[in-house]
Amino acid sequence: MKGPFGLLRGTSDPGLLRPAIARAVGLGVLWLVLAGGNPVDLAPGAVAALAATWVSLQFLPPGAVSVRPASLAGFTFRFLRQSVVAGVDVARRALDPRLPLHPGLVVYQTGLPPGPSQHMFTTLMSLLPGTVPTGPAPGSGLLIHCLDVEQPITAQLAAEEALFSSAIGWKQDNG
Amino acid sequence: MRFALDALTIFAVAAGAFFFLAGTVGLLRFPDALSRVHALTKADNLGLGLIVVGLLFQTEGLLAGLKLVAVWLLALLAGAAVTQLIARIAQAGGPRV
Repeated sequence: MKGPFGLLRGTSDPGLLRPAIARAVGLGVLWLVLAGGNPVDLAPGAVAALAATWVSLQFLPPGAVSVRPASLAGFTFRFLRQSVVAGVDVARRALDPRLPLHPGLVVYQTGLPPGPSQHMFTTLMSLLPGTVPTGPAPGSGLLIHCLDVEQPITAQLAAEEALFSSAIGWKQDNG
Repeated sequence: MRFALDALTIFAVAAGAFFFLAGTVGLLRFPDALSRVHALTKADNLGLGLIVVGLLFQTEGLLAGLKLVAVWLLALLAGAAVTQLIARIAQAGGPRV
């Protein structure tokens, strides 16, 4: 008979228990922050936290990324700054009477492996200035839609990828 | 002190509303679906962030502040994820917007 967490991946992996409990606690706290501590809400909160833990283990298996706090701090600061740059850039272009846009598609070669880390990077990319990922391209390429193809898009993305890789503990030369 | 906090709130929330307006102008003026996606994600991300920052000056207690920040982060995550799906469909020649 498999334990309750054995159902998650079809094996009784004792290494899964600790990350599963840590995530369930974290998601439970998130529920408490969002919904408040009303006793009536606790039962649905527990169900929601367990369901979210199950989904999280499916899509981001433990060990896929290992966040490094020091890199994460620098990364977060840069992310906030880039969010401001991105918003100001769009606002400037939208409100300029001449509508200064040079939209187009650019192929960017990523060093990140396909899977969770690449998905996280494309999610981040859609919040960065001037880029929206629109799908895969041949090889390890990502198709990127840019508001202004005259900007040095691929160089900027390479710099972002280096910071991101460092924050999630992925070394480019591993692959 | 109260006045200073209120002034910061008014400034940050007004700035946030400005970016929502700019994003909406972009949605109307930008020429194609993919460009419009840019206008909505980037401007609304910053707009919502500024409104959250403004409201943080009015919160009582840590829990209310954490809740505001959590709402912003969840909206960011949802926006960034859905943006890619819409962009992928638009690029694949989906319905013209």
